[in-house]
Amino acid sequence: MNILYLLIPLALLLLGAAVWAFFWAASSGQFDDLDTPAMRIIMDDDTKPAGKKEE
Amino acid sequence: MAADTCYHCALPIPDGCDFAVDIDGTAHPVCCPGCKAVAELICDSGFSSYYALREAPEPGVGRPPEDVGEWDVFNSDDMLQAFSASGGEIADVTVYVGGMYCSACSWLIESTVDKLPGMETCDINPVSHRLRLRWKPQKLGLGDALRALAELGYEPQPLTPDSGARPELDEQRTALKRLLVASLGMMQAMMFAVGLYAGDYQGIDPDMQHFLRLVSFFVTTPVVFYSARPFFSGALRGLRARQPGMDVPVSIAVGAAYVASVYATFTRGPAVWFDSVTMFVFFLTLGRFLEMRARHRSIDRSTALSSLLPNTATRLDGDERQVVPVSQLVAGDIVVVRAGDAIPADGIIVRGETTVDEALLTGEATPLQRGPGDTLTAGSVNLDGNVELHVERTGNATTLGTISRLSEQARFARPAFVQLADRIASYIVVALLVVAAAVAVYWYYADPDRAFVITLSVLVVTCPCALALATPAAFAAAGARLSQLHLLVTEGNAIEVLSKATRIIFDKTGTLTRGQPSITSVEVLDPDFDEMVCRRIAAALETASSHPIARAFAIDGEIPAASDPRVVVGQGVSGTVDNREWRIGHREFVTGAKQTDGHSHTRVYLGTQSGAVAVFTLEDELRHDAKETVDVLRGAGLDVALLSGDNARPVARTAEALDIEDFRANCSPEDKLASIKAAQDEGEIVIMVGDGINDAPVLAGADTSVALAHGATLAQTSADVIMPGESLYPVMTGIRVARKTMRIVRQNLAWAIVYNATALPLAAMGYVPPWAAAIGMSASSLIVVLNALRLSRYGKAPRP
Repeated sequence: MNILYLLIPLALLLLGAAVWAFFWAASSGQFDDLDTPAMRIIMDDDTKPAGKKEE
Repeated sequence: MAADTCYHCALPIPDGCDFAVDIDGTAHPVCCPGCKAVAELICDSGFSSYYALREAPEPGVGRPPEDVGEWDVFNSDDMLQAFSASGGEIADVTVYVGGMYCSACSWLIESTVDKLPGMETCDINPVSHRLRLRWKPQKLGLGDALRALAELGYEPQPLTPDSGARPELDEQRTALKRLLVASLGMMQAMMFAVGLYAGDYQGIDPDMQHFLRLVSFFVTTPVVFYSARPFFSGALRGLRARQPGMDVPVSIAVGAAYVASVYATFTRGPAVWFDSVTMFVFFLTLGRFLEMRARHRSIDRSTALSSLLPNTATRLDGDERQVVPVSQLVAGDIVVVRAGDAIPADGIIVRGETTVDEALLTGEATPLQRGPGDTLTAGSVNLDGNVELHVERTGNATTLGTISRLSEQARFARPAFVQLADRIASYIVVALLVVAAAVAVYWYYADPDRAFVITLSVLVVTCPCALALATPAAFAAAGARLSQLHLLVTEGNAIEVLSKATRIIFDKTGTLTRGQPSITSVEVLDPDFDEMVCRRIAAALETASSHPIARAFAIDGEIPAASDPRVVVGQGVSGTVDNREWRIGHREFVTGAKQTDGHSHTRVYLGTQSGAVAVFTLEDELRHDAKETVDVLRGAGLDVALLSGDNARPVARTAEALDIEDFRANCSPEDKLASIKAAQDEGEIVIMVGDGINDAPVLAGADTSVALAHGATLAQTSADVIMPGESLYPVMTGIRVARKTMRIVRQNLAWAIVYNATALPLAAMGYVPPWAAAIGMSASSLIVVLNALRLSRYGKAPRP
């Protein structure tokens, strides 16, 4: 069981990294819109505009 | 969607109107050339999935603007300077986008704006309705960018850099961070708690136990000091104001359990409760977060006021007309207001006559006639004449600004009884702490070795988790359920008040009625004509008018063409149909006889030179479910009352149609507020249902308030509950869910108290080891949460 003395602190380090990453993401505005991204996946961005050519 | 409503804007399609758009091979009817153009623009740009993905459209939203030419004003360099947050190569402007209501809108806007020349980035937030644009100004003017938005049917409004501040975004970011820390902390603490509980059974190496506790301490500390900080500061604020709220027991529970656990960790005591602390904080933070989201969704206070005002005004500088942004108007300016435009500022008419629609401000459904010397208020709509206005007050000094301030103030003067439940909970907490202290003292003298273990068991067993969770868990579940049932709760107290209400007061115009007059009877005076012919002729004449009453005359079937129609401001319309000269409008206008009955707008005359042919009686139609809703409310034991700013006669008729005995007409907002206060003094708990801006102070003064969301934005800001859509019935659904919620809260509280009352003596006598106490506590909390979740299936779905 002694391995836990190493693994748990390692897990805590990872946890800290995850929290830091989330804080950075939230501060840079990536979570400001919680509604649109969920819908974006079902929108067809590749529908070609009629009569126009894609640039 | 029904075929008789516009595919784009969902407003009813006027009769005799034949426009359609072709989308993916199917023809869809639309109501006007503008909507047709917008719909075609959307589809030709490859965005037809907008229609499939948008949530139910709110009628009238996303209407094409009548005139998109005014945007050229914004193309000048001065304008760019006024609105851009940064100078130089890249312009940076934040735009408030009115008329967007769902994610599909934001996608449509983003995709369109992205294709504009010179556009660098655009970020849109559907919650705050703000679009941030960064682009190269030499390739694209600000006005062009705004026009692109206007052409999609939205109402863009550039914000100056300081008015573009977004406090609610910061609030949401912080709340998200707190929630994440609490949830990760909870998961970790639970994981280590499993190890510790297992160790209690199977035996555990004391060093390993100490290590696991230390680790739990590390993950719990940020949860307590970061995630739970709002509760501590709230409790402090409450104590300082001598009004301890829910935050006080929460803080004591979190603080006490945390301190006891830390103490046990470092003294190698018998048990720790880090898992309970983190779980408790997580659930509370989650509840607050959901409540905050609902609030943000419906409130946009900073722009609610200005969204009623136009973007630009036409100022007269000597003889020269100049289009300027409304923010540049000052008192003393002369502005020209064209027919159909909103009045940009409070002022006095210096030239011209018109009728104005003040429905948003006064609730008065009938347009009012105004001439030189009369005052016009900002935010009302100029219906049919061009006027020149001497500006008296602008911005926040206008009547509109005053009303919005009034409603802000009334928000803070809430009845105090809602605090009572919180206070009882805090007394219980204090009592428990006293008992725990007494137990500690007793055992210290009786059996010092066991004193600490037993005291901790008492603290754990009686940990007010279940007690403190009883209310928030049920409220969080109710809030989620209510939003599924098309009711948005913006104020936590609203659910409790809804369940206890004894009296419900309705506004008339736009609440019980649709706010749109329609023909209720036709009296034919000349036997040569029948009703149908009269209606057709009336419809033909009224197509020329933009007056709101004109829409009531639209009919199915063929309409003869009226040649040479002339609109006489404030009087009516004349024109030639079938080679005869017809007039429709006031009695005086049609027959030459004086109007005697004083119902100029509810009785419309149709006639030829030789006299009146028919009289149309117009009334504001009741909402389709008004009668049913009022009956059901009365059946549920509520007193139903009607307070209206409208005239006595229409109010009496509405009251009669709905069997409402308690009604008052000609009420000013002050009158309404006074009669609510009077009812409250008699011990009644009052719900106010309204929609107009004039209701805003009244809504805020009632114990709780409900607003129909299609109404003025400002009314929403002071309402506790918002009903999006056209039906009234959700009020009843809301009350039903609220009552169920309070039943569940009572069950939860009863369960928590019974559990604590039985567990406490056992623990105090030393029969409960700490691990059993912890299981008991967790199980009791779980039961409370599961009971609350029953709400998520309760109540009928709203009627179509």
